Amino acid sequence: MLSDSNSSSDDDQNPKPDATSIDQSLDAIENQLASISMSQSVSEFESESEHGIHEEETTELNHQDFRNGSLSEIDQLSLHNSVPEEVSRSEKDVDEPKASSSRLWTNAVEEEEVEAPSSPSSSGYAGERGSSSSASGILEVNNDGEIDAVRNDGEFDEVSDSQAPWVPGKRHGDEDDASISWRKRKKHFFVLSHSGKPIYSRSVIAAQLFLFHCSIGYGDEHKLAGFSATLQAIISFVENGGDRVKLVRAGKHQVIFLVKGPIYLVCISCTEEPYESLRGQLELLYGQMILILTKSVNRCFEKNPKFDMTPLLGGTDVVFSSLIHSFGWNPATFLHAYTCLPLAYATRQAAGAILQDVADSGVLFAILMCRHKVISLVGAQKASLHPDDMLLLSNFVMSSESFRTSESFSPICLPRYNPMAFLYAYVHYLDVETYLILLTTSSDAFYHLKDCRIRIETVLLKSNVLVEVQRSVVEGGMHVEDLPVDPASRSGTVSHLGQPRIPTGPPERFKEVFHGIGGPAGLWHFIYRSIYLDQYVASEFSSPISSLQQQKRLYRAYQKLYTSMHDKGVGPHKTQFRRDENYVMLCWVTQDFELYATFDPLADKALAIKICNRVCQWVKDVENEIFLLGASPFSW
Amino acid sequence: MGCSSSLPDRNSVRSGGLNPENGGGNDAKNIRVKLVLLGDSGVGKSCIVLRFVRGQFDPTSKVTIGASFLSQTIALQDSTTVKFEIWDTAGQERYAALAPLYYRGAAVAVVVYDITSPESFVKAQYWVKELQKHGSPGIIMALVGNKADLHEKREVSVQDGMEYAEKNGMFFIETSAKTADNINQLFEEIAKRLPRPSPS
Repeated sequence: MLSDSNSSSDDDQNPKPDATSIDQSLDAIENQLASISMSQSVSEFESESEHGIHEEETTELNHQDFRNGSLSEIDQLSLHNSVPEEVSRSEKDVDEPKASSSRLWTNAVEEEEVEAPSSPSSSGYAGERGSSSSASGILEVNNDGEIDAVRNDGEFDEVSDSQAPWVPGKRHGDEDDASISWRKRKKHFFVLSHSGKPIYSRSVIAAQLFLFHCSIGYGDEHKLAGFSATLQAIISFVENGGDRVKLVRAGKHQVIFLVKGPIYLVCISCTEEPYESLRGQLELLYGQMILILTKSVNRCFEKNPKFDMTPLLGGTDVVFSSLIHSFGWNPATFLHAYTCLPLAYATRQAAGAILQDVADSGVLFAILMCRHKVISLVGAQKASLHPDDMLLLSNFVMSSESFRTSESFSPICLPRYNPMAFLYAYVHYLDVETYLILLTTSSDAFYHLKDCRIRIETVLLKSNVLVEVQRSVVEGGMHVEDLPVDPASRSGTVSHLGQPRIPTGPPERFKEVFHGIGGPAGLWHFIYRSIYLDQYVASEFSSPISSLQQQKRLYRAYQKLYTSMHDKGVGPHKTQFRRDENYVMLCWVTQDFELYATFDPLADKALAIKICNRVCQWVKDVENEIFLLGASPFSW
Repeated sequence: MGCSSSLPDRNSVRSGGLNPENGGGNDAKNIRVKLVLLGDSGVGKSCIVLRFVRGQFDPTSKVTIGASFLSQTIALQDSTTVKFEIWDTAGQERYAALAPLYYRGAAVAVVVYDITSPESFVKAQYWVKELQKHGSPGIIMALVGNKADLHEKREVSVQDGMEYAEKNGMFFIETSAKTADNINQLFEEIAKRLPRPSPS
């Protein structure tokens, strides 16, 4: 067990005052987890000894090794063939037998898909009856605004990606199984109050339990209620000792705790995501709750410790399930940076100018987005918007279907801006994927914001911004195949992200190394994060990383790499080169940027380093198309 | 250009916050009116509005966040037009405290319940009392029992709805957003009850 009040390395010197009773609690948790995961086949786990090999073998390089800001070939870079991460567990899940306790879940799905006029909840007002159907979270809108069959029962490892086409009524084989998949799920999120009252659980069984208070047999609810109490007992026990629980390892599971005043957030995971990532996810989950309710909800607990918070969150289940889904595909959730829709500089400037005009008239923030990507955003003087707030706000807007229906005016709170106060958000979709959010402190400002929106919309239409936005969505962002050959020979004829558009000048590519697969020298993908801009750009997924499963695995690898690069205990690292069965990954962190690049596992190291330099140059060459520049109110 | 210069004037005109401009918009033939819908979550407020404004019915769940704003103009037989500026509020508990933001200055309040849900009828009565205390003086109130197509599941009788409405000086109607039954009638009846501005 790690504790917050001390650095983690001190823990072993700090035995808990009453080791017996905490051990009992741990035993209890392990027993419960064992029963939860009893249906999980043993083969789904790696043996313990295989864990964490990647982390330990990272290589730190000295900064002097970089000449002229370029990453030069360095022989000290260690290669290691670490044990591959477990692959494709989710394939297995599909074949799991169905438990009969899935009845409710299955019914719920059918309610959404067919209108059966026999029961009240399928009367055609199905969703309308509020919390019940939304609680089971049957449909989820992911951050791309695509509707996706929810893995509310949560096969998290099988998460679909932004690039995935929306398949109507898409169902996963494991999805119609409530209890088994609950046990089998790689990751569970719970939110409970300090008195042990459940607030949120991403789980069909728990949702049924907590929100419907109905029994579906099999004694699961008793298991879970006991479970919640156990979690609460562990947290309280350690807190009473003036300490705090951060992490409990129980067999293959990590149990991560985050205590926020009267609200306890818990994640139980066997995904092997690093502790820091999971904790970051709990922080975001908490932030999402604050966005909906503000931190003043704490006062309700002061008045009444047994306060039940669930009614206050009524109808927001889809917001949380969409956020949790984004933990599996959206790099913004761990990079703490936002990403922009690629647009010509002039186009983004045109959008920025009209937003600025509006911001000068008393709007606190004006944000124009397309799916989860920023087109432009402007803040009033001295007001800065944190990337995490943007993530939570755009998740809230995109996951709440009603915003698409008409213009709306709703109180929201930006946790990083002011967790105690509501702002008022005017939200309007300009087209299917493009939406405008105007934030103000004034509850009376609706008509003013409506006028602002009309002016913005008029200007955007006149200056063709919305057409350009649609074009960019179709064309996508940076493709590794388009990496320019030689920075010196860049031509002036490029029109979109450095891609030559003139048919007479086809791009020369590094095809000699891995012909037809990915980019030059086996480059498969990259993420570049600009440190001052708080923005990142990720290349589009291309051929070797084409399946969702591969994208998901790559995402996890980045998450791990990011964490190891930012490990405060041994880091920060400047570079890291790792090779495993799946990839060569190269990470390079400077004061200005972080580059994470993925190559073919057989890629040549020297060449890979050369390519990374080229990628950085490419990003610099097109930075005014891929980043929002000059909007520098983000200084905090 | 910019709202900054014109903002103070607008505020002075719109002292009522979310009120539309009442001055200038209305004449004897063209009436503009602010209408707010209140009621428990899931009774079908948004469905009523979308049926009225767009002629659509969408059975899927779209929990309203905060409040949605829509408008629709209808023409009456006496050739007057009434433009409804509709605030469709969220029924969730966390928004209850914010309701005054939306009903302040409203000339019409439509309180909706679900005929299959006695709890929603109780909630409707709460809203009626709240409006009597804090609503605009002279506010026109309609009590609407929605989901009338589900008569086999009915738990609130027409009698109960009617009696409560009568006692509180409200106009009563049962509607079905799903079948469109009585939706236009609801708004036409409201329009008829609006005070006509004297020609100036």
